[in-house]
Amino acid sequence: MRDATLLSADHVTVRFGGVVALDDVSLQAGGGAVVGLVGPNGAGKTTLFGVLSGLVRPRGGRVLLRGADVTRASPQRRSHLGLARTFQRIELFTELTVREHLVVAHRAHERRDRRLLTDLAGLGGRPSPREREVVDRLLDLLGLAPMADRPAALLPLGTGRLVEVGRALATEPAVVLLDEPTSGLDVEETRRLARALERTRADLGVAIVLVEHNVDFVLELAEHVTVLDFGKIITTGKPSAIRANEAVQAAYLGSTVAAEAP
Amino acid sequence: MNALIVAGLVLGSIYAISALGLVLTYTASRVFNFAHGAIAYFIAVFYYWLHTRHGWSVPAAAFVSIGVVSPLLGLFLWAALFRRLAYAPPIVRFVSTVGLWVALPAIVKVAFPFTKSEIFEPEGFIEGSPSVFHIFGVAINANQLVVLIAAAVVAAGLSLLIRGTPLGLSIRATVDSPRVAGISGMNTSLVTASSWMLGTTLAGLAGVLLAPILGLADIQFTLLLVASLGAVVIARMTSLPLAFGGALLIGLVQEVSRKWLPNSGVLAKGFRPSIPFIVMLVFLLAYQGLQRERFEVDTRATSQEHPEAPAPPPLRGWRAAIGPLFVAGVLFSVPLWLSDFWVGVVSQGMALAILFLTFTVVTGEGGMVSLGQMTLAGIGGFTAAKLATDSGWPIGWALLTGALVAVPVGMLVAGLSLRLGDLYLALATLAFSQLVENLVFARDDFDNFGTGVEIGRPGFFGIDFDDPALFYLLLVVVFCVVALLVLNLRRGTSGLVFASMRSSEPASATIGISIVRSKMLAFAASAFIAGLGGGLYAVAIGRAAPASFNLLTGIVWLAIVVTWGVRSIVGALIAGIIFVVAPQLVSLYLSEGWTDVPTMLFGLGAIALAREPRGVLFDVVNQHRLRRLRRQTRREERAAGATAPVPA
Repeated sequence: MRDATLLSADHVTVRFGGVVALDDVSLQAGGGAVVGLVGPNGAGKTTLFGVLSGLVRPRGGRVLLRGADVTRASPQRRSHLGLARTFQRIELFTELTVREHLVVAHRAHERRDRRLLTDLAGLGGRPSPREREVVDRLLDLLGLAPMADRPAALLPLGTGRLVEVGRALATEPAVVLLDEPTSGLDVEETRRLARALERTRADLGVAIVLVEHNVDFVLELAEHVTVLDFGKIITTGKPSAIRANEAVQAAYLGSTVAAEAP
Repeated sequence: MNALIVAGLVLGSIYAISALGLVLTYTASRVFNFAHGAIAYFIAVFYYWLHTRHGWSVPAAAFVSIGVVSPLLGLFLWAALFRRLAYAPPIVRFVSTVGLWVALPAIVKVAFPFTKSEIFEPEGFIEGSPSVFHIFGVAINANQLVVLIAAAVVAAGLSLLIRGTPLGLSIRATVDSPRVAGISGMNTSLVTASSWMLGTTLAGLAGVLLAPILGLADIQFTLLLVASLGAVVIARMTSLPLAFGGALLIGLVQEVSRKWLPNSGVLAKGFRPSIPFIVMLVFLLAYQGLQRERFEVDTRATSQEHPEAPAPPPLRGWRAAIGPLFVAGVLFSVPLWLSDFWVGVVSQGMALAILFLTFTVVTGEGGMVSLGQMTLAGIGGFTAAKLATDSGWPIGWALLTGALVAVPVGMLVAGLSLRLGDLYLALATLAFSQLVENLVFARDDFDNFGTGVEIGRPGFFGIDFDDPALFYLLLVVVFCVVALLVLNLRRGTSGLVFASMRSSEPASATIGISIVRSKMLAFAASAFIAGLGGGLYAVAIGRAAPASFNLLTGIVWLAIVVTWGVRSIVGALIAGIIFVVAPQLVSLYLSEGWTDVPTMLFGLGAIALAREPRGVLFDVVNQHRLRRLRRQTRREERAAGATAPVPA
């Protein structure tokens, strides 16, 4: 890790009924680093993201965000502390345009979402200079500028994922959790996303945690990879080591065989 | 005392039968049926129509109405309505059944005109004077015994069905995950259809059993609904045994409390009907500590599955001004082409239009279904009337104070229930409105034998608004100001935040929006508008009376606003005017048989149009703009050429 740890999960355990979804899982992400999280379907990756972002309460363990214990904190509190995320099953705001997605996220970040009286007086719609700058830069970076004023609900899935990434980055986060950002993206869009993430990491020192099925994408971008299977960490290390690891191949191969069985 | 306990158990058993039906349909289909009491009413009337009017024997009438017509009604409602609702956005699910709640009693009154004129004492299943048994030294008559046996049979039968039959297994699986159940080869349609048939049958049975105890008026069946709601809250919507126990408890408390109640005063009248709500509020408070997930049966059914058609971007520049200017022009010109009588009628409509903007904010913007807005309006109306008439305040200040008083009251109710989810908000607002209606508005100094508290016309800036045309113009100005505020809210950051929350609460929370606080703000704004509109409505009528602000009026308001567009300001305007003008036209030009037709149409409109929360107007005005936009997007995608997006 280059910088101090921004986000860490310590010995997190989650149970759904009798099923252990996460068993004693720990993960760290530091500033300016990309951490990859891979594993077959049902390994617990999305559950871990739920725990980190405050949508799932863990049975045991702690979550630390920039030094503060946020295990019991609400999602919006974590957002204000600098955490942002995207969703595997896309969660767009169907009535808003692409630009408005980024605008509302940035205004929530600026705490402008609670000024009811300003809004009633008709003074609430003006963008702040900072908002204009952040939103325009992100729209350019993600290649969303041409469709900025389109309703997001009319966009193809891949573009929708980019909108989610833009919305997450518009909160000017210190840590971003990306849940399968490349699924549904074409080659060009994937390349653009990789470039945008690289810029965000390098220029702004943002820590990125990446869940991906596109293993090549992860291994190329991440400098540290954790592999989950059946809710447990089976290995963790540099991408090159992961590529060679037999347990990982077994986990993936096993799941592939199971998936292809009639 | 023993007699009271027996009576309490009997009443509780009827509530339990009804509550089990409600829980069953909710768990199997995720549609919370606010029309449950209305269905019970329909079947009860049908039974007495067969039995008393047509002289059918008790077994025949009971079998046909409960055993044949009830399940058929359930099947019909499922096929025509509930089937389509399972994955609809929550608002649509609520409002459709509220529409049915409005429409069914009106349909009954149109189809069975005797229910209006004929006040008759319905008998129980045992005709004549029923024989009295003594069981363990407790006197119990045959009719009561029939009820207790029926409840026991229903409870035993349901638990056998759920635990021991393939259908029960399917129901349990469908409750856990309808999609997985569907994938694994279950016929989920069959499961939900049969649970709706069973649910309406239980409603019908409860209705027929209840009629001898409470009488055969539609308001009594609202009580059946609300008593079941209390039990359902205790059961946290899903537990059949808890619903059964809770219903018995409510029935017992209702009857046994008679022993201590005074013989006159507001408690004598209002306390017993309030018990389900007191129980409901107590349990809502008790459940505050639990996590929200414990309450959400339908976390999977979000609006993402069937997203609404997106709104086209707002018009800009002079185009945006045409519509509002045209509407304002028509409104201001009304006194020129209508007689004073009709200006007076339309004035009431304008006051209601202001009031209806409360739904535009709380439901249209905030995405919440509140069944308590009419009570907030009543609080505004009564406060203004009391201050103006009894304390001699200037009417303008009295109106403003009335609106301000409604705000903290509304926020208290919302604060109690918002954390638990949308359904609980609807139930808590209903509970609150019934408590206020029974315990406050029913007090003699408010009710005044039904005539209410008088309030005069305001006068300020040296203008006396006693003149009908001037008062009308004042209302138009107030409407325009409130409409402008709502527009500002929608165009500001709050509008973006509300739109975000309506689409996805998890995504909104993770970008830093506090869902509870934002909804509280929307609720506060809506309470202010309700209070102001309620005050103005009272001024337009000349008095604040309980009947103007009661539950059955309130649900009709919700239904008609939803029909014309719950997110549309013009929709609220049209809804307000039609609500007043339509009954007036009917009473002037049509025979008495038509009296309930407008109400019926309002309810049916809400059912038909709930799928488009933006209402009729949105459909008409925006469809073609949206089509054009789609074509344009597609053209641009094609123009983008080689890198065609990969479909999911």
